Amino acid sequence: MIEDLAFIGQIAVKSSIAVLLATLGEIVAERSGILNLGVEGMMLTGALCAAAAGIATGNPILAVAAGTLAGGLLALVHGFFAVTLRVNQVLSGLALTLLGMGVTSFLGRPLIGIAPGVRLRAVPIPGLADIPVIGDIFFRQSPLAYLAYVLVPLCWYWIFHTGTGLKIRAVGEDAAAVDAAGIDVFRIRYLCTFAGGLGAGLAGAYLSLSYTPGWKESMTGGQGWVAIAMVIFATWNPLRAVVGAFLFGGLTALQFYFQAVGVELVPAYVLKMLPYLLTIAVMILVNVGPGRRFGGPAALGVPFSREG
Amino acid sequence: MNRKRTFAVSLVLMIACAGLILTGGASNADAASPKLKVAFALLWTIDDQGWTTAHYHGIEYLKEKLGDKIEVSYTEKVLAADAERVFRNYAQQGYDIIFGTTFEHMDPLLNVAKDYPDIVFEHCSGFKTAPNMGNYFARMYQGEYLAGYMAGLMGFHNVGTVATNPIPEPIRGINAFTIGLLKGLKEAGHDAKGDKVNTIVWLKAWRDPINETTLAETLVARKHDLIRQMADTPDSSVAACAAGVPAIGYGEDAARYGADCALVSSIWNWGPIYVDKVQQVMEGTWKTGEYWGGFDRNNIVLSDFHASVPEAVREKVLAEKKKLEAGEDDIFAGPLYDQQGKLMVPEGQKASDKDLLTMRWLVKGVSGSIPQ
Repeated sequence: MIEDLAFIGQIAVKSSIAVLLATLGEIVAERSGILNLGVEGMMLTGALCAAAAGIATGNPILAVAAGTLAGGLLALVHGFFAVTLRVNQVLSGLALTLLGMGVTSFLGRPLIGIAPGVRLRAVPIPGLADIPVIGDIFFRQSPLAYLAYVLVPLCWYWIFHTGTGLKIRAVGEDAAAVDAAGIDVFRIRYLCTFAGGLGAGLAGAYLSLSYTPGWKESMTGGQGWVAIAMVIFATWNPLRAVVGAFLFGGLTALQFYFQAVGVELVPAYVLKMLPYLLTIAVMILVNVGPGRRFGGPAALGVPFSREG
Repeated sequence: MNRKRTFAVSLVLMIACAGLILTGGASNADAASPKLKVAFALLWTIDDQGWTTAHYHGIEYLKEKLGDKIEVSYTEKVLAADAERVFRNYAQQGYDIIFGTTFEHMDPLLNVAKDYPDIVFEHCSGFKTAPNMGNYFARMYQGEYLAGYMAGLMGFHNVGTVATNPIPEPIRGINAFTIGLLKGLKEAGHDAKGDKVNTIVWLKAWRDPINETTLAETLVARKHDLIRQMADTPDSSVAACAAGVPAIGYGEDAARYGADCALVSSIWNWGPIYVDKVQQVMEGTWKTGEYWGGFDRNNIVLSDFHASVPEAVREKVLAEKKKLEAGEDDIFAGPLYDQQGKLMVPEGQKASDKDLLTMRWLVKGVSGSIPQ
């Protein structure tokens, strides 16, 4: 039983890392008021570029960097439309997803079936990995998972306890007021959109270098959309994003575990639905009752222009 | 900037991107005119490493055999919603024989066949026919049976299967594999009576690389001694190899696609069917009907064995294969019991093709159920 718990936990954490990284990125973007629904497209682009760079160079660091950067660059396209042109952010984000799907499916074809150049295997952390159960669950993972462990508190600290974080949150609440205070709204929004893309790109790199090495068409399988739901579930807080992502990973692990053991306590279809149901539940919970303590940034999705 | 304009700009952007996706699949046509024109609609891309790659190998074989007498075109990623348009397009361009290569192409193909009585239509894996539309399929379960037999002879008695969609084709394959597995175990002297030797977990998709990996890893963690791939992509086999557990490939040769631990794969071989059908149309002898060939007509082949498969096992498996090649298919011969021990095929009888094509029960020895 304990053994089962250890491997369910291990698979749950492994399955949650991509969603977690993408969620962190999207939280940063949305905190500055930029809604980017292009996460799925950026993840795919990151996955493809990481796999391609891996095959071309065989260097894990370059491969991760290429995937991450590719996500960031694609996000800048959204930044241009959303910040500079002030178009509808929902449409621009959706376009980014469609663009990412189409472009990666087209450009990725020569890479299908080629042996992956880089495989980031699980690396047990000396000492920690030997802790019973906990060690198996958390400390026998891919190096990128460890990176995610570090990024969560950093991201939280950055948003809530630094001057830059304060500016980001202020821009997301009331861009005009921040502008009046002499802070460059455009620069902050571009920066945060870019950071959001980096998160999604890194998430894609995790999938194509670590989870199932090699490029496969539409390999993200909707995890980008889960990340967007998880931002709301986490009420725009990086620490709570861990809970959301782990929940998603846990459900992924459990749906197969139940079948494998032969007791389907909860139908797999229900388990698949659960992250979205819970997100809706959270949205309802934070929006009924007095105040909106856990609500999203007030200026989320609202373009800023000096002419008003 | 005014709202309507930005909205319009965004819309144009989206449509442009959607266009990119729709044209993601390539079309390919050879020029020349008096030759017989052959068209294929494919489910996914020709390099999907599974179902569509197998069909593409069939197309290549066809070109190799009859290349100077025919003109071949194909369209990738023909999903159900788009299928009728693709078929109608080929019909209007005067193709002589049009193939729909996945189950979902059945009704669209039938609709177009009714409007073009002079064109021959062929559908893969369905059950509907018309005077000018036949169907064809390959008896994959025979290859799965042999793979199971091999695994049994090697003593694997706790197999984990990454199953796809709970419909008759995979169910038939699971049963054939399990029947072979039990036979092999018995001959190898393992007493597997009453044991659940093959655990199945449903992916509920034909391909889903991420979940195939997760599922295979779950089965490995559950201490299954052999992972059996059924999905179109080799990822479950690859994941098993990475975890140090042998695998069995499906559809294409998994060992060629990174699963170097695959003991054997059963492979679709559509080429001979395509050559036959096209030749019949050429000679005017084509008739509608249902075609279902196995090893007897070389529509299924077995990959090379992995180096670790003992010589004695290979000989036994190949002897069994010889029987199938000679048309002696007794895989589903009674007595066969379902999981609850109910007699499904009595002694002295054999499941008919109709029974096989509508199979919705799992044989004794399988752990897992068919979701509703």
